[in-house]
Amino acid sequence: MALPHIFEVTWPDPAKLGTDPKSAALLLNEARETFASHLGIRSDEIHFLGEPNLGFHLGISGLLFDEKKLIYSNIDRMEVFAIAENRPSKMLEVDPNGQLYFSDLSKDDVLALQLCNRETGVIQSGRPENIAGLFVDATASGTRIPLPKNWSTALWDSTSWAGPSGLGIFAVSKSANWKNPLPHLDGRINPGPTSLALIVASALAIDSWVADEKNLAAKISKINSDIRNYISTNIPDSDLAPGGANHLISASFLYVNAEQLVTKLADKGYPVDSGSACSSTNMQPSHVLAALGVLTQGNIRLTIHHATTFEEVKEFLEVLSQTISELRG
Amino acid sequence: MILDCLGKRCPLPIIELAKALSQQPIGFKLTLLSDDPASQPDLIAWARMTGNSVETGESNTFQITKLTD
Repeated sequence: MALPHIFEVTWPDPAKLGTDPKSAALLLNEARETFASHLGIRSDEIHFLGEPNLGFHLGISGLLFDEKKLIYSNIDRMEVFAIAENRPSKMLEVDPNGQLYFSDLSKDDVLALQLCNRETGVIQSGRPENIAGLFVDATASGTRIPLPKNWSTALWDSTSWAGPSGLGIFAVSKSANWKNPLPHLDGRINPGPTSLALIVASALAIDSWVADEKNLAAKISKINSDIRNYISTNIPDSDLAPGGANHLISASFLYVNAEQLVTKLADKGYPVDSGSACSSTNMQPSHVLAALGVLTQGNIRLTIHHATTFEEVKEFLEVLSQTISELRG
Repeated sequence: MILDCLGKRCPLPIIELAKALSQQPIGFKLTLLSDDPASQPDLIAWARMTGNSVETGESNTFQITKLTD
C-alpha cells in the first residue's frame, strides 16, 4: 500500500460510527493481529504508543509498587536510569562481554531486561525466574528474539523492523501484576490518540521485514564478520565492542575525533552514528561503551540493513580506513 | 613530568599523551591532568590497547607509566 493511500484510508477515527470509520477500525484490528502473531503475544495485550519511550515508564513503573525493587544494568537505556533514580533499585554490572548474571534476585525484585543492546548488539542470555515482575526492553531486538516466558510487560520500537519512527508497541501480559502509573480515569492505557497511518505502515513493514529476515540472516552474519575482520586486521589501534545481534557493530578508533570522522563519512555518502562524547547531545561518552570497558573516542556505530550489499560494505571499509588515516595525520 | 590537558576535549588528551610518551624510554612516568569526561574510561582502554599502565588519581589526575614502545 503506498503511503498517500495509507493516509487516505487511516484518516477517519476508528472509534466513531460510519462506513469510513468502520473500515479504519478493520485496518486497526488487522494491524493488531499482524503484530500479535509476529511478536508472540495476544492482540488484546497490545497498546500502541505514539511516544515509544513512554513505554519504559509504563512498563517499569507499573510493576513497581509495594516497595518492590528495580533491578537493571549499566548498559540499559537512559530512560531506565531515570526511572531508577528515585526508588529502591540496584544496578548490575555487565561482564566484559556485556553479559549479566542474575544469581541474587528475589521475589520482591522487578527486573528490566534489555534483550539486545542497540549500540553494540550485545544479547542477554540470562532468563531469571521467581521474581515479582519482568519488563522486557525489546526496542532493539524487534522480532529477532522471543519474549521470555515469564514476561510481565514489554516494549518494541517500530524502527527495529524498518517501520516508521514515532510508534512503539507496548504490551501488558494478561497474567501480570501491573498498575497504570499514569493518571487515569478508566482502564485505557494508551493516553492516545495514536496515528493509525503509522500503525498500518508499521504493520506492512513488519510483515515484509520478517519474510526477508529469514532469507537474509546468513548474508547479514557474513557481512558482520567481514567488517569485524577487516577492522581488526587493517585498521590499527581499533577497539571493537563485544557484539551479539548480527546487524549491529560498534567500533572505536584511537586518536580520532568522532565528530570529524562521522562528518567526513557522511560527506562521502556513509551516514553512521557515534557513541563518542563529542558527537552526543550531552557531551558525555556512551555509558554502554564505558560499562563494557571499550574505548569511547573515535566511535562509530554501524547498522547492517536488509538491503546492504557486500559491494557497498567493501567500498565503505576502504573509505573508513582511508578517512581514519587522514584524520590521524 | 606533568602533562596539563585541562579544558581539552577528547581525543586531544590521549593524542597529546601518546606524543609525550613517544620520545621517552620504557619505564617513563608522567602525570596527566584531564577533566574531559571521556578520559577516565578511555585511558583505561588506551592502556589495555597499547600495553601501558594508567592509575586514576584524585581530581582529574592520572598516573601513566610507559611499558612498551
